[in-house]
Amino acid sequence: NFNTVSSIKVGVCVCVCVCVCVTSSATRTPLNNVGVQRRSKSYRLSYRSCLGTAASRLGLTPALTARRLNTSRRALKPHGVAEKVDPEQLALLVKTEWQLSYVTPLHQFRHTQLKSYSRRLAAFIAAGKQQGLAVAVENPQTTFRVSFSLVEGMTESADDAETVLIQIHARPSFAGQDEPQRPAWSGWLTCVNGNPDYLRSLPKDFTCLPLFGSSGAEGLGALVKSWFQQSFDCCFGPLEVSHTSLQWLMALWTNCHTEASIQHLKMIWTLPAVPPLEVTYTVNPEDAWELWRSVRKQKENRGGGGEEEENCIDIEEVADFVQGLKSHFYRHFRLDLSAGSLNQVSTALGSAKHSGRMKISNSRYMTTTLTLLTESALLKMPI
Amino acid sequence: MAATLSLSGSPGLDPSSSSDQSVSSRSNNRSLRVAEKERKKNEAEDPFVLALKYFSDVEAGTPVHGNDEVEKNMVMVEKVAYMKGLSPEAISIMLEFAMSLRMGTTLCARVLKCLIPATVVPQEAVVRAVVWLGIGKIPISTRILFIKWVLTVFDMIDAKDQLRAIYGFIFSYVTEENLFPFICHLLYLLTRKESVRVFRVRKLLELQSRLGRQPFLLSLLSLYKVFCPELVTLSISSRIKSGFRNHNMPWKSALIAVQKRNGSQVATSISLASAIKTNPRKRKHCHLELPVLSSVVSKEAQTDPSSSRKVVPLVQLHSFAHILENMHRIELPAQMGSLLGSSLALQYLDCVQDESALLRLNFWLGHALHEEFLFCGDGGASQNSEEALQFLNTLLSTQHFLQEGFSCSEAFLYKFLSVWDGSLLRPQILGLLSNIPVVPSSQIRRLLFEPLMQLFFTSSLFFKCGLMECLNNMLLKWLTWHSVYALEDDLDISLNSHTSINMTLSRFKDSVMELVDFVGQLASLSLQLEGCHSLLLSFILDFYETVCDTFLKYGLPLVVMPTPGVFYPALFATDPVSVDRLAYIMYRYKVNLTSAKSQEKLTEQAFHISRQTFREFNHYAVVMVNCLWNSNMFQPDMGVQLGEELLLKSNVPQYWTSFDLIHHPAFMSYAVDFHQRCWPERKDMDLNSIKHSKPWSWYLEYLFSQGYDGLKQFVQSNISRPLTAAGGHVDRQDDGHVDRQDNGHVDGQGDRQDNGQDDGLSTLQR
Repeated sequence: NFNTVSSIKVGVCVCVCVCVCVTSSATRTPLNNVGVQRRSKSYRLSYRSCLGTAASRLGLTPALTARRLNTSRRALKPHGVAEKVDPEQLALLVKTEWQLSYVTPLHQFRHTQLKSYSRRLAAFIAAGKQQGLAVAVENPQTTFRVSFSLVEGMTESADDAETVLIQIHARPSFAGQDEPQRPAWSGWLTCVNGNPDYLRSLPKDFTCLPLFGSSGAEGLGALVKSWFQQSFDCCFGPLEVSHTSLQWLMALWTNCHTEASIQHLKMIWTLPAVPPLEVTYTVNPEDAWELWRSVRKQKENRGGGGEEEENCIDIEEVADFVQGLKSHFYRHFRLDLSAGSLNQVSTALGSAKHSGRMKISNSRYMTTTLTLLTESALLKMPI
Repeated sequence: MAATLSLSGSPGLDPSSSSDQSVSSRSNNRSLRVAEKERKKNEAEDPFVLALKYFSDVEAGTPVHGNDEVEKNMVMVEKVAYMKGLSPEAISIMLEFAMSLRMGTTLCARVLKCLIPATVVPQEAVVRAVVWLGIGKIPISTRILFIKWVLTVFDMIDAKDQLRAIYGFIFSYVTEENLFPFICHLLYLLTRKESVRVFRVRKLLELQSRLGRQPFLLSLLSLYKVFCPELVTLSISSRIKSGFRNHNMPWKSALIAVQKRNGSQVATSISLASAIKTNPRKRKHCHLELPVLSSVVSKEAQTDPSSSRKVVPLVQLHSFAHILENMHRIELPAQMGSLLGSSLALQYLDCVQDESALLRLNFWLGHALHEEFLFCGDGGASQNSEEALQFLNTLLSTQHFLQEGFSCSEAFLYKFLSVWDGSLLRPQILGLLSNIPVVPSSQIRRLLFEPLMQLFFTSSLFFKCGLMECLNNMLLKWLTWHSVYALEDDLDISLNSHTSINMTLSRFKDSVMELVDFVGQLASLSLQLEGCHSLLLSFILDFYETVCDTFLKYGLPLVVMPTPGVFYPALFATDPVSVDRLAYIMYRYKVNLTSAKSQEKLTEQAFHISRQTFREFNHYAVVMVNCLWNSNMFQPDMGVQLGEELLLKSNVPQYWTSFDLIHHPAFMSYAVDFHQRCWPERKDMDLNSIKHSKPWSWYLEYLFSQGYDGLKQFVQSNISRPLTAAGGHVDRQDDGHVDRQDNGHVDGQGDRQDNGQDDGLSTLQR
């Protein structure tokens, strides 16, 4: 019923600083507790070791603490990814739309064995593709070429595991020998600024790379996932970009406007009307920046104070920013966007959809985005 | 043949085990021989074996119409086929029977449809059948059916060499237009480089010019081209999709069901894999499927080729003895989730204390639970509740096997409880809930009690009963756990004495207290809401039967008395069973408290049971004795108080007697019965006459003989009533009012002070 969706496309100039009522103070909550509740067989442990440590152990249990996204985050890193990461690899990561998933920690994954993983995954894919052929048609190495590569420099803290990039090149099934292999699928596993408590709580033989992006033939993606599941005993699940995360992204991207033009701030809202109403709301970059600056100023006036605070963005500011955009829209169209849900945001720096598709267009601001997404992925961890 | 048939058929008559035994012990030889004979006889009488015998021996040309015997045997074979699948021998017999057309063409198709293999399909049978295809006059639809069947079970055929040997023979069927697509598919599966010949390519190209670019033909040709590009000059688009459709429809569901039932020893065939792929809804929920138990792709060998340590993958272990032998070198499977399905593997997991193995299992399990019940936006859980039900049942039986809950299911439950409607998979969820380990008292309210309270008061009586049972089980598990590990810790204390056992014990006690208090609240409110429903009351009393014995049975120095909201409804219940159980509970409380007190004296500082608990117990005991024994209801210090005028206004004669053992609504019928037996000649009934000393003791005997042991124990422990003494001890007046002293003595001095009179109660003091 896509055709029943009526669409409003508006370009709005936010020319006045929209005043938003601000009530809350500028106190920031500390990093929330995310942790793994690890448990060996409790009945093997003594009474004390189970109950005695219970308080601290259970205190970290995600089940017992309501895990939330960070309510405050650093806006910009002093040094960008661009300087640290091999530009060729970086080029592969940006400008592609990735379908996101979360991955539970990998067991016995070794960054030193990527070569052997390449071979094994290639064989696995060839086997999967030939399932039912009953005969080995061709040397799999010549049909599929898999390369695992390390993307160095993506990590932000010592606890983060290095990012791994996987590329699959394939020759079309019945093409001639001399036809070149074409990239058929690519994906990566990453962890940027993962919650240190969580990461440290994992035993040594686990590698936590919670965020997985995939792009390319879906069948290949499924094979890669099942190979990972079988080899490292991990699980994949879809990762949606939540409403809050989308709002965060809007604010974080707008915040960069002075250094790299966002060109536009586009949102797609869905309103629960009959027929469903889809609102495409595009804001002039200058106006968005103006609004954002005013929100930031309010915080300063409230007495944020300190160099340290300068670079931090609070969830209240994000909420104020979004509220400002909503009020402006309401003033013009008498339509309160709060009733609907934000489905998609995009700027020149990147785009993200609620369904979990995400594109980063500018490598400079990659870290911030990936930090947010890593956090969302860690929230999805079952324990 | 018969022996192997029964092997696959009924595990109960396992011939291998009995033969093993006969070797090991000759003394039992005779009885074994008898058993063997019996077994053979059973087998001979097994209708399935008889049916197969019938089909292998039946003569050609036997009429089908009106032939009850063939019908009966056919039904038998079909039943077994759909239940357990057919053994290789049975497949051979039935296929031979069908394709030889011994009883005409109608049965042929029917047999083909029920050829569900249990394990593998013998290649010889297929080859023979293909040969029959050339000889017999099988109708075209049945021929197609046969080829479709071969395609479906292709991966289950035990070898392919003979089939490849008759490649040319099979190829000759390409000329039959109706069979053509299916033959192409079969050839595609059988083709090897040496099968590609010029004349075959030419034949196919000729067919192509006649029939057009059919996808199945193109697929076969493209395979030929892959093998011998020089022979096939045709240009085939590389974008061509697989041209073969799934032909497994008649067998798919039956095959899946049989494989599931048999624990899928056979690797899933293509047909199954593709069947799952074609159904997107199925695929979406595949996270509930247990992974296949498979070994790790030998990483050791790659990382450390010098290591001579041989590892044994869990998959290869088939008995407990085998596990014991190889204990030191067992290799965990690639995916820990696969352990859930196998009790042998769980036994191993139970022995090793591999933290990461458990963590892997927890990750997998938690992921499956979260994805299925929490993250699914479209209420997917209700869609395939059958699958979810099975999954949870597996999880539950695993937890029971390990006697412990997984931490991931605990984490999952805390989240799930707040969104649960209280009816979806209720027994399973409550089962999981009762397995959760001790929750710290600081968190227990937010995590457990608040969501449960909401569910409890908005749900039906049956949910309330179910939750009561669940909380009782939870408490039982906590207590059992304590009683096992508290002992172990005693050893630890001597090792490092600075640890604060008191601290942890008190934390545990706090949690138990919280739980008992919570259940007390729920119980008293729900009894009001449900009008003291006796089913609910029974579940509540179950819980207190656990609570009253915490000290003696589980060694936990904690005694919590029931709330008045539970005590009084049970005391005034209209069914004698509830009153009896309450009496038993009070008796156990007394035993526990007495023993705690004496132990306290011995060890000086063991623990401290609050004065309040003793006071509560004494109070309840006094109320109970006054009510049931002394016919002395409505004392001013009782928990239940009614104004004097109100009682008079009620016009109940001798209202103070109305809850004694004679007039109590639960026991009145016994009193009447007793009266009739005691004085059969009396016309007018005077129940009060039972209260005289002699009939009273007879009445008690009578009650006890009806199975009210709780009452008996309560009376014996709380009321000293020397029966040998003269009757004047129980100083009952005719109006039934016992002239007892007031209850002030309960709080008096002395450890256990008997009353001035002999029918006093022995209460505990502090």
